[in-house]
Amino acid sequence: MMHEVKDAGGAVVIALEGDIDLQTSPKAREALLAAVGRGKPVVVDLAKVSYIDSSGVASLVEALQTAKKGGQTLALAAVSEGAMRVLKLARLDAVFTIHANVDDAV
Amino acid sequence: MPNAPAVTISEPAAEDARRFHANLELLAEMSRDFAASRDLDVTLLKAVGHITDSVDAEGGALFLLDEAQENLRCHACVGATEITGLVIAADKGIVGRVVQNNLGEIVRDVSKDPSFFGGVDEKTGYTTKSILCAPLTVKDERIGAIELINKRGGDGLFSPGDLHFLEALAASAALAILNARQADALLEQERIKRELELAREIQSSLLPRAGDADAPIAGVNLPAREVSGDFFDHFPLKDGRICFCLGDVSGKGMNAALLMAKTASLYRCLGKAILSPGRLLGLVNREICETAARGMFVTMVAGIYDPRTGVVTLSNAGHEPPLVLTSDGGFEAFEAGGPPLGILADPPTKEGYPEAAIELKGGSLWVFTDGVTEGYVDDAGTELGAEGVRGILLETRGRALKDRLDAVVGVLKPGESGMRDDVTLLGLVDTAAGRPTTTSSPATGAESIMSMRLPAKADRLRVIRHAVRAALDYLDCEHEMTEQVILAVDEACQNVVRHAYGGRADGEIAVELRRDGGDFVVELQDFAAPVDVGAIRGRDLDDIRPGGLGVHLIREIMDDVQFVTPPAGVGNLLQLRKRLYTKAGAS
Repeated sequence: MMHEVKDAGGAVVIALEGDIDLQTSPKAREALLAAVGRGKPVVVDLAKVSYIDSSGVASLVEALQTAKKGGQTLALAAVSEGAMRVLKLARLDAVFTIHANVDDAV
Repeated sequence: MPNAPAVTISEPAAEDARRFHANLELLAEMSRDFAASRDLDVTLLKAVGHITDSVDAEGGALFLLDEAQENLRCHACVGATEITGLVIAADKGIVGRVVQNNLGEIVRDVSKDPSFFGGVDEKTGYTTKSILCAPLTVKDERIGAIELINKRGGDGLFSPGDLHFLEALAASAALAILNARQADALLEQERIKRELELAREIQSSLLPRAGDADAPIAGVNLPAREVSGDFFDHFPLKDGRICFCLGDVSGKGMNAALLMAKTASLYRCLGKAILSPGRLLGLVNREICETAARGMFVTMVAGIYDPRTGVVTLSNAGHEPPLVLTSDGGFEAFEAGGPPLGILADPPTKEGYPEAAIELKGGSLWVFTDGVTEGYVDDAGTELGAEGVRGILLETRGRALKDRLDAVVGVLKPGESGMRDDVTLLGLVDTAAGRPTTTSSPATGAESIMSMRLPAKADRLRVIRHAVRAALDYLDCEHEMTEQVILAVDEACQNVVRHAYGGRADGEIAVELRRDGGDFVVELQDFAAPVDVGAIRGRDLDDIRPGGLGVHLIREIMDDVQFVTPPAGVGNLLQLRKRLYTKAGAS
């Protein structure tokens, strides 16, 4: 799993990449919470996420909850087929704000 | 005048003739008013006005008995005192006496009549001197009375001629009131009938539309009244399996119909997401328990049929046992595995209602309500009975499904007012066409694909995912299902990695992938310190990983998840099973 953080139009865009599973989700969680910690609207780019399991989804939920507590927004963008499958199976596709691409989200 | 008339009409006779004509005109006018009436009280007021004027009284009032015949209520009033809405006991006052005796009266001096009710005069300051009162009756049916107060002019007294005149008018008015009431009742009946017809339309829209003639499943529903407490439904899933249900709400009429609409909608809604009939019935049960009132309940059968294997997974909540007619002509009945829905909030098991897997092997399944078995087959009241149903199903073997449904409901004789009870019947015919006979025996179709034993570490989950993908590719599994099964197996392996060895780093996990008939089977075993096997058996997955999203995903994706006894009684062995759909089968 890799991740990349950049600023775009007042928002923090964090792009996750690769497999997010039990092995890699602690790193993803750390990166997501750090992005939220910057106090700006957060956009999570999931275009290059090939696989995500329940622990990865739990990290996204935790980041969303933390953002909401701080009065920030956290949106998902360009959600890959694999990530969308899990969000739907977990019935979380309605919980997150989901944008078709990063440009729409920022 | 040069010539005196040949006949001199005496004064009273002239008065009678004048009244006779006035009476006729008034009657004609009142009849027209009542016939055109939209609001009976308005018409009554008009009539009381005409009558009061004709008799030359100071005031008039019309009283009608209420439905219970206990009180008289003033519906119309003209003159100095306004008493519309006044209610008096049906035997009180002069008007009460007239109604009770069904006899008109002239009371020349009310102050000398002990029955006179002076309350109105006291309040209004008006002085009632004399009263003329006639009953409103049609044949023996008492409707009320019309009362006139204080004759104008002359000695202020009503004459016997006035009473005759009033009685004649009262008789006509009574008939008109009765007619108007019947017309109102008829209108109300018409309105209710229209609403019931509408309700029936909505209800029938909840039933599935008739499918193709060669569809393996079809049903029929004949409501006993306009609306029905029975329902059935069936719809295909994307993978080709068919969900179906049939239910019967206790009681009849509108309340049963409403609960039917609710239950049928719940099934439609949940049926596509919950692919376990037993769990589904458990959920519907809880919902009905929470909201159903008046001790109503629902008996229901829910099932899923797989045309590729001929297997029906069935769950029965207190319903008449469904019948399986085997291809060699035998019958099997499937008794209920739990109580009707809406009685006990807790389902029979933690997982909901028990399920039975039935292999149809080219036979057929029939689910019906007691309206079928308890329907009369003759005028003497002989019930069709379960035996009768079996007989018809045997006789009609080989015929089209729809013909067979028609044959069963066709022998039921409707009574004078339709069927005795709602009649609902659902048939499912397994053709077994193009199905290799070997798949009917899971044991013969078993094939090991891959077996591995590796460290129970998070970094090995990737390896397991790749292995599962390779196995599913080998089995030509359809894309979406492949991705989902990989996720489910990954989640199950996490369980072992995180919890089995309590933080020890040297634990191992064994993964066995195999094909078992049409199923993909995954077995995951850990080798944690010897565990009491008895304690493992029947243990629930939730006990291992509480509140997990992972558990939810596993259940959502796999058809069956259970702990089985591990060989040599060592560790834990979790078995996951999924009915497989190949790319070839899906296309």
